[in-house]
Amino acid sequence: MTFTDPLSIITLVPLLSGLALLILPNILPQHISQRMQSSVRNVAIGLSTAIFALTTLIFLGSIGQIDWLSIGMGSFVLETEDPVWLIESIGVTWHLGADALSFPMIWLTTLLIPISMLVQWDVERSHRFHALLLVMEGALVGVFVSLDLFVFYVFWELTLVPMFFLIMIWGGEDRKYASMKFFIYTFTASVLMLVGILVMYFNTADSMFSGSLTGHHFNLVEMTEQARIGGLIASEGLRHLVWLLLLIGFATKMPSVPVHTWLPDAHVQAPTAGSMLLAGVMLKMGAYGFLRVAVAIFPESTLTFVPLLVFLGMASLVYGAVVCLGQTNLKRMVAYSSVSHMGLIFLGIATMQPIGFAGALFMMFAHGIISPLLFAVAGSFKHHYHTLEIGSMRGIAHHSPFLAGHMMLGWMGSLGLPLLAGFVAEVAIMIAFWMTFGWWVLLPAITLIFTALYYLTSMQKIIFESNDPHQGILPDTLHGEDPRDVTWHENVGMFILGALTILFGIMPFIFWDMMSVWSTEFIETYLIHAMNALEAMP
Amino acid sequence: MILSLDESQALAPELVIVAGIILAIIVPNLGDSRVRLPLTSVRVPILWGGRRFELTSDPRAPGVLSATALAIACLLSGSAIESADGMSISGVIQVTGFSRFMSMIFTAALAITAIASIYRIPSTRFTPEDMVDPDDSIESSLMDNRRQVDLHLLLLMVALGMSLMALSSDLFFLIVCLELASMASYVLVGFHKETEVGGEAGAKYFIVGSIASATGIYGMSLLYIWSGSLDFDSLAESWSSMGELDPLAGIGVGLMLVAFGFKVSAAPFHLAAPDAYSGTNAPIAGMLATASKAMGFVAMMRVLVGFAGPNDGVIAWGLALAILAVITMTWGNLAALSSENPKRMLAYSSVAHAGYMLAALAALGSGLADSDTQDMLQMAIVFHLAVLVLFKLGAFLVLTLIEIEGGGNKISDLHGLARRDPIIATSMFVFMLSLAGIPPLSGFLSKFLMINGLITTTSGTGALDADGVIPWLQSVDPFFLLAIAIVLNSALSLFYYLRIGLVMFFEKPGSDSPLPPALGLRALVFVSMILTVLFGIGPASQWLLALLETAIASF
Repeated sequence: MTFTDPLSIITLVPLLSGLALLILPNILPQHISQRMQSSVRNVAIGLSTAIFALTTLIFLGSIGQIDWLSIGMGSFVLETEDPVWLIESIGVTWHLGADALSFPMIWLTTLLIPISMLVQWDVERSHRFHALLLVMEGALVGVFVSLDLFVFYVFWELTLVPMFFLIMIWGGEDRKYASMKFFIYTFTASVLMLVGILVMYFNTADSMFSGSLTGHHFNLVEMTEQARIGGLIASEGLRHLVWLLLLIGFATKMPSVPVHTWLPDAHVQAPTAGSMLLAGVMLKMGAYGFLRVAVAIFPESTLTFVPLLVFLGMASLVYGAVVCLGQTNLKRMVAYSSVSHMGLIFLGIATMQPIGFAGALFMMFAHGIISPLLFAVAGSFKHHYHTLEIGSMRGIAHHSPFLAGHMMLGWMGSLGLPLLAGFVAEVAIMIAFWMTFGWWVLLPAITLIFTALYYLTSMQKIIFESNDPHQGILPDTLHGEDPRDVTWHENVGMFILGALTILFGIMPFIFWDMMSVWSTEFIETYLIHAMNALEAMP
Repeated sequence: MILSLDESQALAPELVIVAGIILAIIVPNLGDSRVRLPLTSVRVPILWGGRRFELTSDPRAPGVLSATALAIACLLSGSAIESADGMSISGVIQVTGFSRFMSMIFTAALAITAIASIYRIPSTRFTPEDMVDPDDSIESSLMDNRRQVDLHLLLLMVALGMSLMALSSDLFFLIVCLELASMASYVLVGFHKETEVGGEAGAKYFIVGSIASATGIYGMSLLYIWSGSLDFDSLAESWSSMGELDPLAGIGVGLMLVAFGFKVSAAPFHLAAPDAYSGTNAPIAGMLATASKAMGFVAMMRVLVGFAGPNDGVIAWGLALAILAVITMTWGNLAALSSENPKRMLAYSSVAHAGYMLAALAALGSGLADSDTQDMLQMAIVFHLAVLVLFKLGAFLVLTLIEIEGGGNKISDLHGLARRDPIIATSMFVFMLSLAGIPPLSGFLSKFLMINGLITTTSGTGALDADGVIPWLQSVDPFFLLAIAIVLNSALSLFYYLRIGLVMFFEKPGSDSPLPPALGLRALVFVSMILTVLFGIGPASQWLLALLETAIASF
């Protein structure tokens, strides 16, 4: 059986059922489709919870008896064995697998989908909204599980479509501009990436995955192995060019300064669930692809361009933090803080230390829990107070204690408070940075103080200042109504995310161990050789 | 001359089309007329003339007839691809798998056109309730019927010409068949004479087309003077025994390229195409963009690869065709960017696609490709021609639906299509993505195979130790640049294809009324959409390519 392994199921089931739920109301007779519409969201959340349970079972080792710490570099968990041809003539196969790089992301995706559904439970035209989220889940998981670059690219582009519609249809006032900008930026970048992938394709050697007509293949595992043994592309200049093309594709998705400008617009306009997935998973696709494709296949180019990576990382970190200081819009502030944190991931990779890689990986995961919490809070603030202006409101701790609590926890996690998930990643990256670049570590470390600064000032303003109901300031947009606290389903979603933030702060080893083993092996397998070669050069 | 049983079996698809033509003439004229036998009072029914039978004089009958004939011909051609054994008939026809594959494409495109025309050129059925003045309504019904007959006769003629053209093993016969199809298509372009632009489009297309044909025929006469025979085998013999390029032969082939260049709408012979496409109705425009273009390419391949080809000594046309290809695709894409008329935009996009295929054809003439690569390049071209029938004609089918309700000439007619009809709009979007070459649709696969052919052709030439992109590009064969040109042009083309998608999904519709029901047309659009996906990924694409491989082997 070809498409019944667990990884295929968690990819295809949400994708196909989401598409079916989108199409069916158009085809079925009127009275059936109307009755169906109200139950779509129940089906969607039930299905995505089941998928999450399945993924958790895979993680716990109940399916496939997996020992995550001894997978070995270049091999994958639940990997497809024989070539399952999709397009035999050009060498495209359905080839899936997971390892410590991709699995936390897969788990995160399957976790965030039901939570974001829960947070935005009541929404107009929910039968379309929740079905689109299911499609989104399939596409996102597909990006992380596919080990065939063609399929990877198709899923990569496919994630654009539901997100584009989510912003375009359920977004704020400026949604048209924001969604167009989002689409054009990321699409152009990924077309450049496709050109890079094609160059790689035409340099692959003959293997069991090769197409019957072309004699080349898209298989990522084979490509990486070929690159490790003899180099995928002989010409160094071409290698650098391909690396840069890939970087453009991945850095735009991450996003890194200077191609980050789509992100704040998209985030501010996107509906809450869209923002949560955008920040939680979609941004990580960039870092994931960068490590999986660009770094693994072109280690020499990566080492050559380390200064560029440090520059991009520092620029994003500092720029994001400084812009945050001056933000008055809550969502925009959280969006820029994402830019800032993605800069840290680049810095972690640029250190070329196992602990730096592991820190970057853990940052991808921790930011994937904390930023959805922040966006859920911002979304619910907008929902109940009808505004996102930071200065328009004082003392919500008095009016909405739950909202204030979640807000504080999220912000503390994001600024890197010890015993919360973000702290582990930041410390690891800082240590690695110190190991490689010495006292330059002060630069990112001081920037992290800025992060604390903007969070603390906004916290001071919004949550605490003047909580006296007679003197407190309520936003004009409430029109004199009493503000409410979060609804129960928002509360449940935020509680789960908050609990995970604490859990992974206290017990980071759940994922940290496998990430750290993976990073060590990754550097030994792919980078040491290139480092020695570079050092040997005069 | 009477065909033997074997021969008529081999020519079954063409015979079905001929039968369709004869029936289309006879059937509407059937009536209850009787002739009195001389010297008796017995009146014998002769079934010809008089009061027409209700069933046979139905204005929809010719459409159904031609669509059926073409569909049968398509199935017969398809089933004969693997069994065709290269039988030669009277020295001018050779039934090979390749020619059967091409006639399958031609008849499929024309069958779709015929079905779409049934909906596009409305026919009013004569019913007794309408009979205010019985004579009048019979008269008008008859006229309507005649008009339908004309249209579908012409479509069948086009199919016959194209199909025989693919079979021909003689240059003269090829030109005659090409002209049969061309003449019929000129009339079809001008068929919509109610509109002013219709007549103009037809006239323009006719004048430019006949000048191009005349040029081609002159080139053919030069080839005849040079070789003394127009049979492909003897032409190939003369070509390979020619030490260096004979000017007579070179000019002859060059002039023939003008005629075929017009058919495939290659720049600079494409200038009449956008006017013709936008002036005529959508099904016919779709036919021009698919079947007619495929016909031009087959003729081109017959001449360029068939006897003046890479295996026959002197190759003179590679570089010229490469330059032509780059100009064609760039011009097409740039012009399409600024088109406000969707049919005009599709016309220019069809020019651009001609450029991509010309680039692959040029690689055949570079003299660098080994025989495997040559087969691959030919497969890529023919595969592209085959899948174009799905997504290019499919796009024109959607425009047909919009034309039926009176629009179709402005991009604003597509505004908000998704709100009025989500399935049609999604199909249109898939067609656009496939035209742009987005994976995993069939448009990507065919374009990818062409790029792959180009790169394999030039793969040995780049210096592997070049330390930089620029030195590497300098060391590689210039034909490699064609692949880059295709990639850049595809990126450029994304803008106008995606624009169609955007206006369909995000603009406010001009009217809220649903699209016309036209069930058959909708079914065609839906099937085309599904096949566009299936021929891009999965076993279906493999099946088509395998079929194509057998076909190309017998080229």
